[in-house]
Amino acid sequence: MSFPTSPYPRKVRLWRKNKSFIYNLHPPQIPASSARFTYTFGLGGIAVLTAVLTTLTGLLLMFYYEPTLQGAHASLVLIDSVVYLGHFTRALHYWSAQVMVVAVILHIARIIFTAGYRPPRDVNWLIGLGLLVITLMWDFSGYVLCYDSDTIWALLVGTNLLKELPGVGHTLYLLVVGDQALGPSAILRFYTWHVFGLTLLGLGGIGYHIWRIRVDGGISRPVPTSGASRQFVPRETLFFRELITVLIVTGGLVLLSTLAPPPLGPPATLNRVGSDVVLAPWFFLAIQQLLRYVPPLWAGWIIPLAGLAFLALLPLLDRRGPGRGYWFAPERWRPQAAFGGLLLVIIVLSLLEWLR
Amino acid sequence: MITTSKQAYLFFSTSLLLLTALTILFWGQLAEDWKTYQQAYLFQTNQPGQPAVQQIIPRLGPDGQPTPDASPELCLTCHMGLAEISPSHPVESFGCVICHRGTGLALDKEQAHAGLLPNPSDLAVAAESCGQDNCHGGYADPTRNHVDQVTRSLQATYAGGIAMIRYTFGVQKDLAASFGVVGGVDPNPLSDTVSSLTAYQPQQDALPMETQFAQNCLTGGCHLTTPPIEAPYFYRSTGCAACHVLYNNDGLYTGADPTIARDEPGHAATHQFTTAIPYTQCNHCHNRGNYSLRTMTFTPRPDLPPAGPPLSEMMPTEGRRLVEYYQPIGQFTLCEWELDCADCHTQAEVMGDGHFWPDQKTMQYIQCRTCHGTLTEPPTTVEITDAEDPALRLARLNDHYSLGMGDVVISTARGEKMGSVQLRGEQLVQFSQVDGQEYVVPPVMGSDCQQQPDEQESRYCHQCHAYQR
Repeated sequence: MSFPTSPYPRKVRLWRKNKSFIYNLHPPQIPASSARFTYTFGLGGIAVLTAVLTTLTGLLLMFYYEPTLQGAHASLVLIDSVVYLGHFTRALHYWSAQVMVVAVILHIARIIFTAGYRPPRDVNWLIGLGLLVITLMWDFSGYVLCYDSDTIWALLVGTNLLKELPGVGHTLYLLVVGDQALGPSAILRFYTWHVFGLTLLGLGGIGYHIWRIRVDGGISRPVPTSGASRQFVPRETLFFRELITVLIVTGGLVLLSTLAPPPLGPPATLNRVGSDVVLAPWFFLAIQQLLRYVPPLWAGWIIPLAGLAFLALLPLLDRRGPGRGYWFAPERWRPQAAFGGLLLVIIVLSLLEWLR
Repeated sequence: MITTSKQAYLFFSTSLLLLTALTILFWGQLAEDWKTYQQAYLFQTNQPGQPAVQQIIPRLGPDGQPTPDASPELCLTCHMGLAEISPSHPVESFGCVICHRGTGLALDKEQAHAGLLPNPSDLAVAAESCGQDNCHGGYADPTRNHVDQVTRSLQATYAGGIAMIRYTFGVQKDLAASFGVVGGVDPNPLSDTVSSLTAYQPQQDALPMETQFAQNCLTGGCHLTTPPIEAPYFYRSTGCAACHVLYNNDGLYTGADPTIARDEPGHAATHQFTTAIPYTQCNHCHNRGNYSLRTMTFTPRPDLPPAGPPLSEMMPTEGRRLVEYYQPIGQFTLCEWELDCADCHTQAEVMGDGHFWPDQKTMQYIQCRTCHGTLTEPPTTVEITDAEDPALRLARLNDHYSLGMGDVVISTARGEKMGSVQLRGEQLVQFSQVDGQEYVVPPVMGSDCQQQPDEQESRYCHQCHAYQR
């Protein structure tokens, strides 16, 4: 009696390319125009990579971080000073998060300038906007967890803005802060949201967002014209481009984290609030500048939400027509100009605040 | 997957970028500042060993245990070799942060030194460091609240000097002291002290002289609150450390802390407190030069460095201390230049007694007769009978003399005990507080002295006993 010959070699092979996870995330063939690096600049991928790096380094920081009024700042000092490679881990966490915010914003800009939000990708566009909000909240909650003399301001101003919402403001404040004023419960809640709530929403949202890309027919591209031959690249090519991007971004982040460690001021003292220079995290500087001119309800809620609503309405305002899949297509100048103007206003307001 | 040479080039160059970044990271890890400092210390002291984080958990709780909120301090990781500030402040009990603040857990210089008090004894912050409760402040016994007392002392207020200047220029009608470099209120003044002083700040319409006086004479150089003149022979600290932390004349550090530059003037000789204060320390402020009332400026002594020739070239071998001590303006007895200033000028006289004294003449009360007596009266002596006597505390802090219960010591006109002048058998013996040398104190009673009973000030004694200077 003899056993049938196995078609597989007897050696156990732990890794096969065609069975790997990342390999199979990609469709076998990708339209060449979608896969072109200068079309996407890999911004979505960079955002995912930095989200993963932030999560992994955040996991390591959780072994030492103490979400209490007395322990928060001290544990960061401990991480920076005593824990082996602790300062690097914290720096990589910080810089990955900053690059993630930048990548998400640029990714959104790319979608708008190439009309990637048009159907059938309109739902994924809304999911992407949700991820923008989650990214900002994620970063903001991490910023205040430093609990030093600078970030205490962001926490104070940010949470006080909640109270400005008519009707639900106070309830929302209690929900987020957990008390009538900032105290031990606030830092614990921000921590829980940061490491659990927002991480779950963020990573889950990213997964769904990527899956939706496949479902919606891949990355946006020009509407095919009749008679023109359609060109495709194999997933190996895309995979290689992604690998190169990962190497460059990771190398850059390691370099940045080594040479420019994130700041950590003296510990925050709630009873000293009011005597230091106030500076919001960089991505909220525009709102801080607005707060100098308009009432908090407008600066903190109505104007930012109006901007977000404009972005959400884009797929309805600009549904079809020529110009999809091309950067700065002149046929679609209106949405691009509107977004460009919005971005310019945000940048100018931020610079004004930063240079004060 | 890598199919072309261009792809291979891209892959290897980007991999190289990542590898370079990682190499820089681990290289930086090897060359952290604290490791460099420790290696320098270990090399200098010829000690074997590898750099390691040095941790202290202050033990200020009951039975020498850490208090529940005690936090580890890593300061000595960089400041390895820094001398312990004093035996009464053991570093393993006190740590560093309780006095110096800063972030004890940090090893990064900037982070560690955030909020640091380089000199916790500076009078601007001393109340929160040296003077905190149960240290040198907050006691019911005022003699233990040294920071309060020093802040009211003439060394800090310069009340008499300010009054004299204002009077000289007709700004005030008499010599009554009402201003000080530091102001404050004394709720229980004595008959010859003032109840309050106002912090001296010339008004906008003040005479130019007043403004000049405040700018030139009160903002730098002397007085406990102001930084010193940055020149050899003037280097010193401020606050308590102005007297209790010794400086070399060249202002150079001679300790073993690798973080302190040894060629950078302006540092204390070592990180150590002492009550054995030599005359050289007092001379960083006193007897260093003269003041011009016309220009409101300070002129350093021409016979001493830095204005004069180096000390080694002009100092006589004999009587050097007399020449170095004083300016050539008067007469001084042997004990005035053989002993050190701290041997005669008592704690209350120098560090204050909690009252605002109007001027030096009113406050200073040590006279020749305090130790030598008069023709008709021996010096006043008193036996130490109280275990809590401040004289015992002072003696414990000084290695050069000892004092115990039952010892008989000099008592000053105001009842302050001079523990270093003790009755040994039939003789009064002065122990130098700086080197422990013993000096027999000759009594006036029974001697050939012909002083008149009403002529007891030192100037009368100088007529016979002085050396010309």
